[in-house]
Amino acid sequence: MRLLKALGEWLDFRLKLGEGIRDAATHPIPKSSASWWYVFGSAALTVFGIQVVTGILLAIVYVPTAAQAWSSLQVLNHDPTLGWFLRAMHGWASNFMVALVLIHMLQVFLFGAYKFPRELTWIIGVFLLLMTLGMAFTGQVLRFDQDAYWGIGIGASITGRVPVIGGALVHLLLGGPIIGGDTLSRFFALHVFIIPGLLIGLVSLHLLMVLKLGINEWPMPGRIVRRETYLKEYEQLTHEGVPFVPDAIWKDLVFGASIVAAIAVCAAVLGPFGPGGQPDPTIIQAAPRPDFFFLWLFSLLSLLPPQMETPVLLLMPPVAILILLLVPVLSGEGEKHWKKRPVAVLTVLVAAVALGSFTHLARSTPWSPAMSAWSGAPVPISELKGRSALERRGALVFQAKQCRNCHALGGAGGMRGPALDEVALRLTSDQLIRQVLQGGGNMPAYGKNLSPAETTALVSYLETLKPEGRPPAHDASQP
Amino acid sequence: MSGPALWSRAAAVAAALALASCDLPGRPGPEPEVLRPEQVLDFATLYSQNCAGCHGAAGKGGAAVSLADPVYLAYADDATVRRVTANGVAHTLMPAFAQSAGGMLTDKQIDVLVRGIRGWAGAAAPGGIKPPAYTAAAPGDAARGAAAYQTFCARCHGPDGKGGSGGHSIVDGSFLALISDQGLRTAVVTGVPGRDAPDWRSDAPGRPMTEQEVTDVVAWLASQRTQFPGQPYPSLNTTHGGKQ
Repeated sequence: MRLLKALGEWLDFRLKLGEGIRDAATHPIPKSSASWWYVFGSAALTVFGIQVVTGILLAIVYVPTAAQAWSSLQVLNHDPTLGWFLRAMHGWASNFMVALVLIHMLQVFLFGAYKFPRELTWIIGVFLLLMTLGMAFTGQVLRFDQDAYWGIGIGASITGRVPVIGGALVHLLLGGPIIGGDTLSRFFALHVFIIPGLLIGLVSLHLLMVLKLGINEWPMPGRIVRRETYLKEYEQLTHEGVPFVPDAIWKDLVFGASIVAAIAVCAAVLGPFGPGGQPDPTIIQAAPRPDFFFLWLFSLLSLLPPQMETPVLLLMPPVAILILLLVPVLSGEGEKHWKKRPVAVLTVLVAAVALGSFTHLARSTPWSPAMSAWSGAPVPISELKGRSALERRGALVFQAKQCRNCHALGGAGGMRGPALDEVALRLTSDQLIRQVLQGGGNMPAYGKNLSPAETTALVSYLETLKPEGRPPAHDASQP
Repeated sequence: MSGPALWSRAAAVAAALALASCDLPGRPGPEPEVLRPEQVLDFATLYSQNCAGCHGAAGKGGAAVSLADPVYLAYADDATVRRVTANGVAHTLMPAFAQSAGGMLTDKQIDVLVRGIRGWAGAAAPGGIKPPAYTAAAPGDAARGAAAYQTFCARCHGPDGKGGSGGHSIVDGSFLALISDQGLRTAVVTGVPGRDAPDWRSDAPGRPMTEQEVTDVVAWLASQRTQFPGQPYPSLNTTHGGKQ
């Protein structure tokens, strides 16, 4: 022990780091800041540490070429001892990191911590959020399965919609006209060098500012932030405060350790993400979807009316980022407590409900993105019982023409159109024929895809779809 | 969570990792998570994705031919099941599944399907009488078929085939347009399992239909096909058609 101390002193005499570290560790913080609410940022940093370590280990085996990326992940999953666990840790830590960064940001926003003098800390934080999302997206591309392949295809076609320079941007993004080895090399460089490098730099700056400007005090309703008086007030709070180590840091450590444990449990129990199907564009059965934190975008893009796509895609991200960056500029002073900031709370609620709903929609996908999702679902036996030869043929037309992809029978089928179990109560035979042939509402016209015999059979089957004993729809213009 | 509880949990996780790294639930299985479509060789998967929609789960209860019906399996041999699966049936709703015919399945996958469907035959072969041949040896005679129809079918389907006490119409133009002659023959021989339509042995009391009678009834049904099936207002259509 004495030897260790002597070695430490020898080193510190030359490095001159000890005093700085000691000062930083013991700097006084307001009593109220040693809180369980102030642990998310440090936990995000801890998870970033996991990502760096697991990422480096993964990079030893991963081959960033179009031909071998997918199979090198198979190797990782199966050959090296705990290789799969490494992948699982990296994947789950990625989800935890995005979640923690979002929670951290939410907490900072609701606690008014971005106000004077911490505006720049927030602005850097916005860039850190973008980079975290960038890491998540580029990481998904490196998984290079069907989701990755088509995900980058969608990313490229969004980029291609930029006026004038769209084509050049796509070329830059993909490293050529197609998704291939060059694309993967670019995303590897982004994921492994460029974004992490920027992240490390900005995180250091972010941390330095927290140290220099002090941890935000617990907000009190009615305690107004003013540029003229805030620094003095904060000094007063720290004067009566506690040292960061050990009074506050143990909460960070305990929370960070439980997050690490949670990631390990998720990785051990739920396993690694994919890789899914091979990234082969000739596999047309693929039904790709993005990772969890981009699911909201998946539903938004699927549900937008076509004419709205380009404006939303090209305007929404810059506007959203601009709003985030302007938050501390527009409200750098004033009330910090959420109880006195109804607009802030409502904004958070609306954003959370919107993102949550879109994510939920992306998991149930009522717009039926998989073309063959219900091709194999049989017609419920009760809805075939007692049907005539013609009506049974109609049920076959219904199945063979994939009406099921948009219309459910017996609870199985797409939700793009209405379920048809009781359609005969709603539409007369003439209305059914017209709807099938000409389409309407959200439905395309099938007149060119159905022979008259098929239409007749189909409609005569649909006319049988009603609960027993209820009268069918009738034409009010006829006696 | 208190410190000691956390540490004990962390220790438990570490121990679990060290001891049972082979048996953790998250460990991926030996196969890739998603097989290439042509590598899927599991009968249940292939059947449920490609066939169940029309032929019913486990080959029963669908709107199309019941593949698990022992009568059908005795009547259609492997080569027939294979040919129909691979090439489909022209002008009907049975599509071709083989890649060589424009479908999505490899020959190996078709083999898996044929073997699996045959596997349903089990021991429950129809007792005693051999079913009529799958294909008619000679073209049938519609006039003789009309007479055979009266003997074997009219009891339920009515004297003219337009439906009767126990059965629905089987001469509807749209129905006949969507079924091949072979399909009609299969329907006559196997009946419709799960419904009241009996197979060729018990259409009339006393004796089964002979091979010739089956062929002739099919010829009579085929003769009922109309030139322009599926017109919604047939009465208007005759005058309209007359002007053309």
